[in-house]
Amino acid sequence: MFKKESRLRSREAFAMIILMIGVKISNTTPSLFAQTGANAMWLMPSISLVVILPSVLLLYYLLKKYEDKNLVELLEDVLGSHIGKVIAFLLFLIFFVLMAIEGRSYTEQLKLLYFPDSPTPFVFFILFAIAFYGAKRGLETIGSASYIFLFYIKASVLLLAVLIFRETITDRIFPIFGNGLKPLVIEGAKKASIFSDVFLLTMAYTSFDSSKKFRLGVLSGFAFVFIEMTFFFFLYCTTFDYNSIDKVAFPFHELTQYVDMGDFFTNIETFFMIFWLFAAFIKYMIYLYFISWIFGAVFNIKEFEPLILPFAFFGIVAGMVPENAVINELVFKSSFMNMITPFFVGFPVLLWLVAKIKGDLRR
Amino acid sequence: MFFKGKKNAEANKQVPLSRNLEKNTTHLKQLFSSELNKDFSTREITARYSNKRIKLFFYSSIVNSTKIHEGIIRPLLEAKGENLPSIITLEAIKELTDFDSIIDDINSGNVVLLLEDSKTAYSVNVADFKHRGIEKPENENAVKAPKEAFTESLNVNISLVRKRFHDKQLIAEAKPVGNRSKLDVTIMYVKDVVNNEILENVRERLDQLSVDNVRNIESLEQYIEERPYSIVSSLLYTERPDRAASYLEDGYIVLMMENSSACLVLPVTFWSFFHSEEDRYLRFLFGNFSRIIRLLAFLISLLVSGVYVAVTNYHSEMIPPDLLLAIVSARERVPFPVVFEVLLMEISFELIREAGLRIPNPLGPTIGIVGALIIGQAAVEANIVSPIVVIVVALSGLSSFAVANISMNFTIRITRFLFIFAASFFGMLSLTGAFLLWVMYLASLRSFGVPFLAPLSPSYKSTNDTVFRKIIKNEYFRPGQIKPKDLRKKG
Repeated sequence: MFKKESRLRSREAFAMIILMIGVKISNTTPSLFAQTGANAMWLMPSISLVVILPSVLLLYYLLKKYEDKNLVELLEDVLGSHIGKVIAFLLFLIFFVLMAIEGRSYTEQLKLLYFPDSPTPFVFFILFAIAFYGAKRGLETIGSASYIFLFYIKASVLLLAVLIFRETITDRIFPIFGNGLKPLVIEGAKKASIFSDVFLLTMAYTSFDSSKKFRLGVLSGFAFVFIEMTFFFFLYCTTFDYNSIDKVAFPFHELTQYVDMGDFFTNIETFFMIFWLFAAFIKYMIYLYFISWIFGAVFNIKEFEPLILPFAFFGIVAGMVPENAVINELVFKSSFMNMITPFFVGFPVLLWLVAKIKGDLRR
Repeated sequence: MFFKGKKNAEANKQVPLSRNLEKNTTHLKQLFSSELNKDFSTREITARYSNKRIKLFFYSSIVNSTKIHEGIIRPLLEAKGENLPSIITLEAIKELTDFDSIIDDINSGNVVLLLEDSKTAYSVNVADFKHRGIEKPENENAVKAPKEAFTESLNVNISLVRKRFHDKQLIAEAKPVGNRSKLDVTIMYVKDVVNNEILENVRERLDQLSVDNVRNIESLEQYIEERPYSIVSSLLYTERPDRAASYLEDGYIVLMMENSSACLVLPVTFWSFFHSEEDRYLRFLFGNFSRIIRLLAFLISLLVSGVYVAVTNYHSEMIPPDLLLAIVSARERVPFPVVFEVLLMEISFELIREAGLRIPNPLGPTIGIVGALIIGQAAVEANIVSPIVVIVVALSGLSSFAVANISMNFTIRITRFLFIFAASFFGMLSLTGAFLLWVMYLASLRSFGVPFLAPLSPSYKSTNDTVFRKIIKNEYFRPGQIKPKDLRKKG
């Protein structure tokens, strides 16, 4: 009993969800939002949240009703083995492609900003090699590492926010709806899949100490990261203004290059890069682990950890498909995020309807 | 030949004593090769109380001869009485019936008495193994702390612990280890606090040992640890009895053996290696200040060389211009790449360290002069290294001494080299990755089932004595990660 109990508590869930969604603040996602949102893009996460939140809550409600089931088991239980497996496999594909696209995006950021002379596949390889070794250590270790590093990562981000504050001009958020309310709402709704990681984490529903702690951790982390995201998008808007914000490719790194600590330490972007890297590594560890897990669950492979290596490899291969960074970001990532949004909004509703019709919810 | 000898030893085990004294004597003398063994002694006496012959067998080198004379021989010659136990004046007397136990007892410093016309032998403890006196701790120095250290005698060590912790539940359980030379491993724990699962685990490991001889705690540590190849030790080695006592009180288990001037504490976490006992003796602020310094030293020692390599090679824009110019001008005449330079200095520092440890005492000052000259002056003047690298390496070397525990010290010294290699490979990208993986490795470890970074993560109900400690009055709980039977120690 001593050795078998799970060491994952709500704080680990809290840390994991914050790191998974939180890194999206610091990658190219904000510039994607800024293409249509311009100086009003800080409102877009709220719109996305409104769109996705009912589905999230519905899924967590279903998980609570069907006790002791993780995401794939729930799908199979509600929709039957075949349809459930198809949906789960779709989930696997979606997250795999997301991992590949975002991995490429990270690689390009690293390469452009810090290693301009290194070949892209090589940087990609290092990123995924480290993520692979971390993922191999297992979910509990990943959870612990997320929690241990969370404080330092967030402290560095807070420092950045404090340092950039004098550069911001609050009036830059006006006009409040940027290019207009309609495009803002449509684009915000389309990109609701920015929060898709909340669905991925439900795979670990039964691996935690108790499902109550899991729900508490994930949902409070979700709330935290939403506020953080809105706040940071707000900072971007007020720092860059409407006519330059959609031209900034890496807003976070741009901020780190703006700030300085006194006259002596003027180039401190590498300092922030360290913590950004910690977060990125941990995110890919979680991704690799969960993708292999879903795949293992779909194809009834109990020992799924050996799958992490091939998926890391195929992640690199798939990530190298887009010709260059611009196509990867503006074509692949943008349209893929739009494509998967209906799926994430829809499938919990489908689950709920089927469960309702089958009468399972009355138990 | 070898196997035959072993078989004979096996066969001896269940041989009982006979009534015939002569026969017993011959057999025993043969067992101990008395004609070759100079210190194997025999003495024959005719006892006054029974008018029968009694033979004494012992190793003269490991017994106290005054005790034998005053407590055994004189009473036998002079006193009258019912039976033998009522005559002998010494405290511990034991009845034996077979040769196996007789052999064990003689080996551990008892005198064995064989009686005429009797199938029972008596064994009296008169052991007097020579050992050092109690001295000051040599490796775990402290200013504000008791100055006693363990010494190479089990009895003295147990007494030092019992002196600090008066509790009838404090158990000193003995477990014999070794097939050829049997030595007791003493497991100390507080019976109504310790976690039974861990205790059982330790007992099992000791039972499963199948070696001829385990001489001391230092080798025992390697026999019972879970991961011999790991970079981190899973048992804490300490020479301070006050430290052992405080761990016992918290529900940990302490292993002791004859011949070791230290004990092993288990299960351990990272924090046991990081803390020093003096942190708890110093007042709240002072103790935590010294912990901050130690954490700083820990990080500097691990990372400063790696960061220097990474920053100068890959992220030179990070260095403020004036400092960058200073570094560049210092490196101007140095022909080697930075990595090579740093490695060269790190390795020579390790050389000085190793040589300084092994050098005979009278030569000690020499190594200091040579080391200081080589590192400080000559290498710089010969343009082999730049002065700034000397500073970096000296800093990391100095800081490593602040991590006093020898196991953790080795861990960070080896890890430092890994980090230098990682940093030279892809700058901060690979260094960050290596550091993350290293921390994750620590997080994934378990020492006797206890997560290595607990209670930081995973968390347990405890006083959260990690980097900082609380005010001593507010420490209500024992460390929850080892699951003590009695979690609350106060209030």
